[in-house]
Amino acid sequence: MRTLSSRSEQSERPHAIGPVTRLLNAVSRQNKFVLIFSLCSGVAIIGILVLRDMRAANSEARQMYTRSVHGLRRIGEVQYEAQETRRCTLYALTTADSNLQVKYADQSRDADQEVKNGIKEFRERASTQYEQQLGTRLEEEWTRYLNVRDEVLALILEGSIPEAVRMDLSNGVPAFERVRQDLLEVQRLYDQDASRRQANLAESSRWSSIKLIGILGSTFLVASFSVIIIQRSRALNAIQLTRLQMEFVASMSHELRTPLAVLNIAADNLADGIVTIPDAVVRYGGIVRRQSRNMTELVDRILMFASTEDRRLHQTLEPLNVSAVLAEIVGTLESRIRDAGFSMTENIEPGLPPVLGNRVAIAQCLNSLIDNAMKYSGASRDIELRAAAAASPGKSASELQITVVDRGTGIDPSDMPKIFEPFYRSPRVQAAQIHGTGLGLSLARRMAESMGGKLSARSEPGRGSAFTLHLNFAAERDDEQDEEIIEDQTEVPRGKKDSSRGG
Amino acid sequence: MRRVAKWLVLLACVLWPAIQPAGMPHPASAPASADQTFGTEPLAIVVNRSNPVDELSMPELRAIFLGSRGHWSTGRRVTLVMRDIDAPERSVILRDVCGMTEQQFRTHFVRGLYNGEILISPKILASDTGVRRFIFNVPGAIGYLRLSEVDSSVKALRIDEHRPGDKEYKLRAPIQAGN
Repeated sequence: MRTLSSRSEQSERPHAIGPVTRLLNAVSRQNKFVLIFSLCSGVAIIGILVLRDMRAANSEARQMYTRSVHGLRRIGEVQYEAQETRRCTLYALTTADSNLQVKYADQSRDADQEVKNGIKEFRERASTQYEQQLGTRLEEEWTRYLNVRDEVLALILEGSIPEAVRMDLSNGVPAFERVRQDLLEVQRLYDQDASRRQANLAESSRWSSIKLIGILGSTFLVASFSVIIIQRSRALNAIQLTRLQMEFVASMSHELRTPLAVLNIAADNLADGIVTIPDAVVRYGGIVRRQSRNMTELVDRILMFASTEDRRLHQTLEPLNVSAVLAEIVGTLESRIRDAGFSMTENIEPGLPPVLGNRVAIAQCLNSLIDNAMKYSGASRDIELRAAAAASPGKSASELQITVVDRGTGIDPSDMPKIFEPFYRSPRVQAAQIHGTGLGLSLARRMAESMGGKLSARSEPGRGSAFTLHLNFAAERDDEQDEEIIEDQTEVPRGKKDSSRGG
Repeated sequence: MRRVAKWLVLLACVLWPAIQPAGMPHPASAPASADQTFGTEPLAIVVNRSNPVDELSMPELRAIFLGSRGHWSTGRRVTLVMRDIDAPERSVILRDVCGMTEQQFRTHFVRGLYNGEILISPKILASDTGVRRFIFNVPGAIGYLRLSEVDSSVKALRIDEHRPGDKEYKLRAPIQAGN
C-alpha cells in the first residue's frame, strides 16, 4: 500500500511543476556533451562578434586618420600656400627692383600651384554632393583670384604701382577673401567629419563594451545553466536510482516475507509436534522445499545481478547445439511451467548450426524471459518458444534468434524504453499487484550482452509480447574473427576473443 | 624745384661717360674682339605668349626700343626689358636696332622722358632667366634673349619676316667664353 500511495503522489507531481522545471528536466535528460558543445559554440560566436567589432573600430580609426586627420593637415597646408601666394604678390609691391619683383612673382606662382594641387585632392576625395559643389566653387574662386593676381603682378612689373594697388584692393582682396572663406568651409567640413568619426568610434567602442559585457554575462548564465543542468541530471539519476533501490528493498521484503512466513509456520508446526501425520509431514516438507527453492532462486538472481553490475561480465563461449541446449532448458523448466498451469509450444527450426554461447548464461536468460512471460500472461496460458536463423540487422551474416512469446497484457509503449532498466517496474504492473524485483529483463539483457549478443522486445498492449535473444552462430563468428585478424594484425582482439578470460 | 631736378638729370647724363672706370671697355664702343669670341648666335626678340604680334619690322622694333611706340595693337602698354649694361646682347641691340651707343641711348631716353615724348623706361634685369620670367609675367613686355635661352614660356618674333634661326636673320650676338 505504501508503494502504491507513493506512486500515486509521484504521478500527481508532474502536473504541479512549473515550465522552468519541466524545461530543466527535459534538458537534463540530454547528453551533457551537447551542452558543452553549445557552450563552446557560444564562446566561439562571442569571439567572432568581438573580433568583428574590433575590426570595425580599427577600420573606423584608420578612415578617420586617412580622411579627416590627413585632410585637415592638407587643408592647413593649402591655407598656408594660399596666404603665401598673396604674400609674395604684396612683397613685389614693396620693391622697385625688377629682379626682386620677378623673384616674388615666381614664388607666388609656385605657391599657387600647391594650392591647385590641394584643391584637386579635395575634389577627388569629395564624397558628398555638397563637398563636390564646394570643391568646384573653391577652384573657380581660386582661378578668379589668380587672374586678378596675374594682372596685379603684371602691373607691378610694368611699374604701374598705383594701378596695381587699386586693382588689388578692388578685385584681389574680395576674390582672396572668398577663397579664404571657402578654405575655412573645407576645414570646417574636415573638422566636422573628424568629429563625426570620432563620435562613431566612441559609440562603436561603447557598443563593443556593452556587447562584450552582455555576451560574457550570457556566457556566464549559459555556463551556470549548463552546470545546473548537469548537476541536476546527476541528481535526478541518483534520485531515480535511490527510488528504484527503495522500491527494490520494499519489493524484496515482500517477496521474502511470504516464503519466510510459510517456512516459519511449517517449521513451528513441525517443531511443536502439531503435525505428526506422515502425509502431512510430507506435504509440509514439500512446502518447505518449494519455498526454500523460491528463496534460493531469488537470492541467486540478486547475486547474479550484482555480479553483472559492472557490465564487464564475459562468459566463456563455446559452440553449442541449439536444439540440445533448448531441450535441456525446457526440460528443467517443464515442471514449473506445468505446475503454474502454462503450456509451452516449441517451434525450433531443424538443422540449426552450432551457436556461440554459454550454456548457463543462455539458460538464465531464457529462464528470466519465460518467468516474465508467465508473470504477465494474464488470462492466457500459452507460451511459445521459437528458435530460427535470421538475417542479422546491419550484418551480412545470419544469426540465431530465440524468441519467447506470450499472449498476455503486453507492454505500454511509454514503458518500452525503460523495461530493461534495473529495478524498473511499470506503474501499471505495480497497480495490478504483480510481484517482481524488476531485475529479470535487466539480467537477461546483461546475459545476452555477455555472450556478444543482444536482447530485443516487441509488444502490443493487450495482445502480448515477444522477447528475442540474438546470438551469433559459431562458424560465422569464427569467420568474422578471421576477417578482423586479417584486417588488423596488430589490433588487440576484442569481443568474444576476450571470452577466454572468463566471467 | 622741378626745374632744378631736370637740370641735374641732364647734367648726370652728359657727365656719365666721364665718370666710367678708365679700364672698363664700353660694350657698345668696344665689342668683343675676334680672338675672345667663338662665333655668333641669333638674338631673339621675345614677347609674352598672350601677345598677338608674331612679326615686327626692323623700324617697328627700333621704335619700340627707342620708346617711340608705347602701346601694342591690342592697346596694352609696351614694357621694354633689357639686360644690364655689361651684357653683350644689350650692345648688339643698341648697335643693330637702335643704331646708338650706350651714351646716346641713355641721352635719348633722358631727353625723351624730360620732354614727355617717351612714357616708358626700360626694365633692367640681371639675367636671361630674369628676362624670360619677366616677359612671362607681363603681357605687354618685350625683350631679347639668345636663341638658346628661349623656351616655351615666351614667344620669339620674326623680324623682317625672318625667324631667329634663319640665315638672313640680322640680330646675332657674339658667343663668348663662358656663354
